[in-house]
This record gives sequence, structure tokens and C-alpha cells, in this order.
Amino acid sequence: MISEPGIHHEKLLHLKFNLTKLKSRSYYIMALIFIIIFAFLVIVPLIQIIFTSLTFQKNDVRMVRGARVGAFTLYHYSRVFVGRLAKALFYKPFINSLMVGFGVTVLSMTIGSLLAWVLVRTDIPFKKFLNNIIVIPYMMPSWVMALAWLLIFRNTRTGGAPGMLTVLFGVATPDWLSYGLFPIIICLGLHYYAYSFLLVSGALATINSELEEAGALGGLNRLKILKKITFPLVLPALGSSFVLTFSRSMGTFGTPALLGLPVRFFTIPTQIYASINARNKGDSFVLALVLVVLAAFAIYINSRIIGKRKSFVTMGGKGFRSKPNKLGSFKAPVTILVLIFLLIVIVLPVVLLAWNTFMLLPDDYSWSNLTLHFWTGKSNFSIASGQEGIFRNSSIGGGIINSLKLGVSAAIINAFLGLLIGYAVVRSRGTKISGILEAVSFAPYVFPSIAMGAIYLGMFAHPFGPIPALYGTFYLILLIVIVKNMPFSSRTGISAILQIDKSLEEVAQTEGIPWFTRLRKIIFPLSKSGFFSGMILTFITSMRELSLIILLVTPSTRLLTSIIFAYTDQDMVQHANGVTLILMLIIVSANFTARRFFGTKGLFGIK
Amino acid sequence: MNKRILHLLVLVLFLTAGINLFAVGEKEEPVDYPPEMDAWLQEAKLGPYEGEQDWNEIEQLANDEGEVIIYSSSSRVAKVAAVFEEEYPGIKVTFFDLGSVGTVEKTISEQDANLFNTDVITTGGSGQVIHELLGNYRLVNFVPDMYVDQIPEELREPLLARIVEGYVLLYNQEFYGNTPPISNIWELTEEKWRGKVVLKDPMASLTNKMGLWTMVQHADEFEKAYKELNGEKIVLHENVPDAGYEFIFRLLHNDLIILGSGSKVAKASGAKGQTDPPIAITGYTYIRYNASKEYVNALVTPLTPFENIVTPVYTAIARQAPHPNAAKLFTKFLLGDINITLDTEISEPYNEGESARLLQGLGPYYEPGSKSPRDTVPVAKGGEGWYDLDSWIVDPDFMWYEGLKVQDFWVQEVGN
Repeated sequence: MISEPGIHHEKLLHLKFNLTKLKSRSYYIMALIFIIIFAFLVIVPLIQIIFTSLTFQKNDVRMVRGARVGAFTLYHYSRVFVGRLAKALFYKPFINSLMVGFGVTVLSMTIGSLLAWVLVRTDIPFKKFLNNIIVIPYMMPSWVMALAWLLIFRNTRTGGAPGMLTVLFGVATPDWLSYGLFPIIICLGLHYYAYSFLLVSGALATINSELEEAGALGGLNRLKILKKITFPLVLPALGSSFVLTFSRSMGTFGTPALLGLPVRFFTIPTQIYASINARNKGDSFVLALVLVVLAAFAIYINSRIIGKRKSFVTMGGKGFRSKPNKLGSFKAPVTILVLIFLLIVIVLPVVLLAWNTFMLLPDDYSWSNLTLHFWTGKSNFSIASGQEGIFRNSSIGGGIINSLKLGVSAAIINAFLGLLIGYAVVRSRGTKISGILEAVSFAPYVFPSIAMGAIYLGMFAHPFGPIPALYGTFYLILLIVIVKNMPFSSRTGISAILQIDKSLEEVAQTEGIPWFTRLRKIIFPLSKSGFFSGMILTFITSMRELSLIILLVTPSTRLLTSIIFAYTDQDMVQHANGVTLILMLIIVSANFTARRFFGTKGLFGIK
Repeated sequence: MNKRILHLLVLVLFLTAGINLFAVGEKEEPVDYPPEMDAWLQEAKLGPYEGEQDWNEIEQLANDEGEVIIYSSSSRVAKVAAVFEEEYPGIKVTFFDLGSVGTVEKTISEQDANLFNTDVITTGGSGQVIHELLGNYRLVNFVPDMYVDQIPEELREPLLARIVEGYVLLYNQEFYGNTPPISNIWELTEEKWRGKVVLKDPMASLTNKMGLWTMVQHADEFEKAYKELNGEKIVLHENVPDAGYEFIFRLLHNDLIILGSGSKVAKASGAKGQTDPPIAITGYTYIRYNASKEYVNALVTPLTPFENIVTPVYTAIARQAPHPNAAKLFTKFLLGDINITLDTEISEPYNEGESARLLQGLGPYYEPGSKSPRDTVPVAKGGEGWYDLDSWIVDPDFMWYEGLKVQDFWVQEVGN
């Protein structure tokens, strides 16, 4: 009898303990919910790609006697890999894509790493200014460079007037310089170097120069220091740059489409686009799977070589005091070289595009040809099919509003979700759930954008499970942009939470402060910087997104990028270039204002 | 480790089953109208229940409906919507400019999900529209009765065309003068024209696809044309089935230049001041840039074996359209004022004043290189050549049953 209350007490205590355990592990439940959502939004589409590639589609019934829609078949695989069409459909484009992938990766990693080293580890002047503008190419849509390239190097192969080089200097440009592999690699390389620059400079910034000094004291010469100390330390960043650049450039559509077609240089993404247009879904999904497998393979190789799977987005750590290498007598030449480089990749394309918008007839560089019509003109049916000037054009105004709506909402939602996912992953570290959540949130990364757009179009054209038909609405575009950006947002979230010591939260927890308040009062303020830089990153990528949304936009959900694409398609170059400039202006100024306003670090959280 | 794989498999199976639940099965071709559609046809007085058209009643009912929804392959539908709303202020036009592929896709996927959102569907793409849409009862043909006598049967049965467009060869008149540089299409496959023929990628454009594929269909005429030019029978390459395919083969292997847009093609052949301009195979309507962009394109005519390939742009009422009477009224509006005759003076600008009032929904499409299906509507200035052209018309059956084979041939040869 005496012991009874004691037992009760003990039971009660036990129960209470279990409840607290459950409550304190609300991140488990959160993680589970996220996993289910991602399974729905990512894994289901992936399975649907595989499923579609393995079954007869509507069009096939017209080609294959006795075929029934939905029946299992290896027809598409045999068409793509072994049939009569295989060479044209897969092998040649595949080789081309690999050449583009490796070419771009080598070029952009070389440029990016060199610039990173110069800007972080030397005493080059105007550091802050250079750091700010060196990532601007990353903020431009990747095909801007291709448009500028054509303005300069186009030759008479495509008829009409040749490019500036020929018009102004009488130099005839050969085909290999005007179109195909060479310009594609150059143009993409000059866009993607920003990845390597950001990642490598982030890594370099965390290297304590004492390490190098120790090496020097130990008698190593400069080259050996570089080889034995610096290089191994930036190796993870180099690996990440490789994966990021390689899989991105393999999967890009705009630039190869613009520069490749005139010489029939096809890549896997342009073949996917063509197959989707030709309603050969099965073929296009087999090709899409090739890109998925390649991206996954690149990640795997990286993880094997580097041995650190989590190294994709190396968040800048704490600022070390690092002693810059003295450039000495090289200071002036190096500075001038960097400035010339920036002049070519940033100022030149922008000036060319801007100039072009003031030319009544494109390619006529005489003074009398200058006009304001494309900016302020009223509709005149003898020019540009009666399209009004950009400032009068209501559809462009609508596009600006839609793009901003998309960029801002995606930025906010992604940053929050990223933080929550980061929280769930980090706090449940070591459990299976944590690993699965981390993996599924990264899974959208391996999807080629264009294929993901095609799948979402099919999935959401009619009610899907509990979700109503989203096609034609803004929400579908928002959804796909959020999902596609999730790999970066969740990485940012994970690193942000990793920097917060668990004990801080545990203190609050023992005080009985509820989870949401903890999030609001402790987690959020401490991860603010990463949070906002993640927001800016999402804002930039969603503002300049084209491949992902091109199949999903409708007139009421038009975005600036789809407007540019349509103008380019209709050869209304002045309008296309003008809207491109507006887009760039919005992105760049939003980036700088946000950084000033929130006091955040730069892209990827690197100053 | 094996357990993990097993878990994954179970997950995959589970999700695949989920997809099957959501996936929409292919509709079997119905023998007769589906019952819901039949009831709607009866109510809307369409198809077999059309009877006498009472336009006063239709207009009144259309005003009661108050709205009409359009899926269109053309961006100019926006302008049609504006003039329609001006004429019928009681009826609001909602339109979706979807491109030809998008129009067909959206219609099919919505109807498969039992959503009947749209009233009017207007697009090109003969094979798909006739076989996949009309053939599966996704559309119903409606011809406003006052026009029946003015439109040749092949342009109103099985489906009404609201405009027909031409597919032709254009050359640079400034450089080559008034006599076109070729008179037989096989000349384009000769060394002289290597790298000097441009067209828009047919994989990205239904008009170009239909035009090229129609050439393949007319293999016999191509064979005859070859003999006419060279005096001997054509020798086919290995694995090339006939002279139609052979033409595509030789064209591609003569360094054919493929561009991304029709405007670029028009510029390639038509820009002024060129020293070695190419010939363009393209939509006839691009001749309009001669006025707006100062191009110097001209039709290649006479030409053997054809001068023009006619592609219809259809308009039809969607299955179970929510506003069938407004749809009828809109269809009538697309064809222009009934009182237009060949002698009617229609002057530029076409989108203003009396011209706009007469042309109605035809106005935004009134330009050289296209033509109303009505025999009584004159062609736009600059397009008078249309009447004299030796034309073929696109055959929906060939597009549907043979189109994919031609497409495979194209994909194979374009990449080799």
C-alpha cells in the first residue's frame, strides 16, 4: 500500500518523459511530413518518367502494329539506343553534350578559380567593388551571352546581315567561330564561372594563412605550398564546382538552341525539347533519364573522390585573418587583366544589347538608324508587327509583375522551407529519417529542367490526388520553381542550423518554451544571414528561369523570360534585348538593395 | 542492406500503383456520341440536331450566356477578342493563346479529366485536329449557314477552316531580279545551292512540318519533276523509299540551313544588300515583311512540281462547350461580314474604320500570303499572286498515318 503512490508516480513520470521526448522530437514528425510531400512532388514525377519511357504512348500506336497505349514495352529504349535513329537521336547529341559539359567545366573552373585566388588571396586593389560585380554574369540569363555573341560573330550562313565584326571591319567569320561547339563553350563558360568563383573563394576565405605560413617556415616553396596545403583544402569546393557546372551545362537548353541549330549541332536537351514538341514523350523521357543518371553519376564520383558528400554548397565560415599574397610588380597587369575580363563579359554584352534596342533596323549601325521607338513608341503596324514600345506595352508590365511575384514568393517560401528542412535534418541527425529527407530534398537537382516542366504539365493539367488542376495558374509555376530550388534552399538551411549549437535550444526547451517560439526567438535570429542570402539566391534563379517554365506559362502567367523567348522566336530582337536589360536591371538592383537592407552576405553566403 | 532495397521497392510499387490510379486511360473510339455529349448536342442544337439556324435566337442566347472562351494557336486572337467585345459588348471573351501543340494537348488532357472548359478551338495541324480531336468527338463542326455557298466543301467538311495559309518558296528579288533563280524544285539539291536553302525547323513548327511532309506525299510528282529537269529517271539512295523522301534526303545533305524562327528565315532570304542570298522555303505570309521590314522577298513562280501548299487553320466548337451559342456567334464573326464581295474595297489599315468593320474577326489575319476560305473575300494587297498559284492542299490522313514515318526519316537524316 505504501509503495503504490510511488509506482504511480514513477509511471506518471515515465509517461511524462515519453511525451516530452515526443514533443521535443517534433522535428521527426516534421521530417516525415516533408518526406511525404517530396515523395509526391519529386519521386512520383521521377517514377512517372520511368513509367512513361517503358510504356507505349499515344503516338506509338500509329507506328507499331498491335501496340496498346499503356502496355509495357522497351520500344523507346530500342529506338534511342540501338535503332536506326539511335545515332541521330542519341549518340551524336550525347557526344556533343559531353564535349559541351567538359569544355564548359574546364573553362569556367579555370577562370573561376583564378579569379577567386586573385580576389581572396592577393592584395589586388578595389577588392570590394570587384567582388560585387564579378558575379553579375550569374545573375543574367545564361543565353544573354549567346545573343551578344551572335550580334558580333554571326556570319552570312544564316543569311540576312552578318554580325558586327564583318560589318564594321570586313572580317569574314568562319562557321566554327560563329556557331556550334566553340561559341557554346565560350558563352556558357563565361556564365558558369561564377559557380567556381563563389565556391572556391568561399573555401579560400576559410583557409587560415597561418597554415601556409607554417608551410613556408617548414621550408616549402610557393608551388609546394599551393600543392600541399592550399589545393587539398579547396579540393571539396573544386569538386562541388565540377558537379554543379558539369551537370548544369549538360542540361542547359537556351544557348545550344540559339548557337547550335544553324550548323545542326544538337545536344541532349535540344533533342528532348524537339521530341516533346513532336509529342514523342517516350523518347524524350528516355533522353531525360540519361541526364538524370549523368547528374547522379557526377554527384557519386564527386563524393567518392572528395569523400565528403555534403560539400555542394560550402557556406562561408567565420572570417579568418588571412595575410594576402603580395602581387608586387604584377599588381598593375593583373588588375588590368581582371578589369578587361569584366569589361568583356559584363559591359560589352550589356552595351551591345542596349545599343541594339535603339536601332530601327537591326544590324544597321549608322547614326540615322537610331530610334526610341522600341522603348516609347506607339503601335505602328509597319514596325515589329505593331508591337508598342516597351514602356507602353501592357504585357511587358504584366510580365514584370508576374516575375516579381514569382521571385519574391519563391524566395520567401524557399527560405522558410529550407530552414525548416535544415532544422529537421540537423536535429534528427544520425537517424534514417534525416538521411532520407536530406536525399529527397536534394533529388530535384538531378532533373533536367525541361523534362521536369513536361512532367509537371502532364501531372497538373487535371486534378492530381488532392490537388486541383493547376495548369494555367500562377501556382503551378510557383510550385515547380520552389521544388527545383529546394536542393539549394535545404543546403542553405542545413548549414545555417549546423552553426547553431544545440545547447542553446535545449536551454529554452527545459524552460518549457514551445517549439515555434524557440524557432522564432532563437533559430531564426541566429540563422538570419544564411536565411537572407538563400532568399536572394532563390530570387535570382527564379527570376531568370526559362527552361523550367517554358512549357507551363500561359498568357495570364507570362514571365519576363518567356516574353524574351517569344520575342527572340519572332525575331523581334530590339524588344527581346530591351526586356532582357529590364530583367537584368531588376535582378541586379534587387540583389544590391537586399544586401544593403538586410546586411546579408553575398551569394551562397559568401562575402 | 537488402532490407533497405526491399523498402525502396515497396515504396516504388506503392507509388507506381498511385500513378495508375491517377493515370487516365486512353479513350476507346466511341461508336456513337457519348450520352452526355449527345444530350449537350441536342440542347445546343449542334451536330445531328443542328436544324435551321435562327441567328436572332442564337445572338440572344449568346448574350444570355455572356461569355465565350477560346483556345487558340495564334497570338492574334487577342485582337479578335477586342473587336468582338466592341461589336457584342454583352459577351466577354476569355482567350488562351496556346500554340498549335498546346491547344491540342490542353483540350485532350482537360477533356480526359472530364473538364469541359472551352467553347471555341481554333488551330492548324490537320492530322491531329481531324483524327485526334474530331475523330474522338472532342469537337463538333459548325458552319454558319449563310457562308455555306461561299466556302468550297473541302474547307468546311469535315471541319470548317477560318483561314488558309500558303507554304511557298521565296527568293531575293533585289539580287536575282524579276526572274526567280530556279524553276524546278530539284535545283535546290544541286551543288549551286549547297548551304543556300533556309527553312524553319519543322520539328518546332506544324506549318513547316505539314508543308515538307506534303512534298513527301507527292512522290510521283517529284519523280516526274526530276525527270523533267535531268532527262533521266531518279536513282534513289539506299533505304530511301521514293522520290519524295529522296528530295528531303538530298535537301538535307546539301547542307540545308535550319533556323529557329520563320522571321529569321524571311530575313535570311529577304534582307536587302546581300551578296549571295539563300532561297527560303516558308510560310507565304512572311511576304508581309516586305512592307514592314523593307525585305525584298518574292515568290518563286513558275515552279515545278508545285508553287504553293495550302494549310487550313480550323475553327470548331468544343465538346460540351459551356457557351455554345456564344461560340456559334464567335465562329460567324471569325469569317467576316457576309456582305463582302470580290469587288469590295478593303483598304489599309485593316484594323481601323470601315475595313475593320467589314473584316470583323478576319481582320487580324488579313494579310498577303493567306486567304479567307470564302471565295467572295478578296485577298489582301500584295497577296494577289495567290490566285495563279499551282497549289496542293495538306491531307490530314497522310499527316496522321504517314507523318510519324516521315518524321523519323527527318530526325535520322538531319542528325547524320
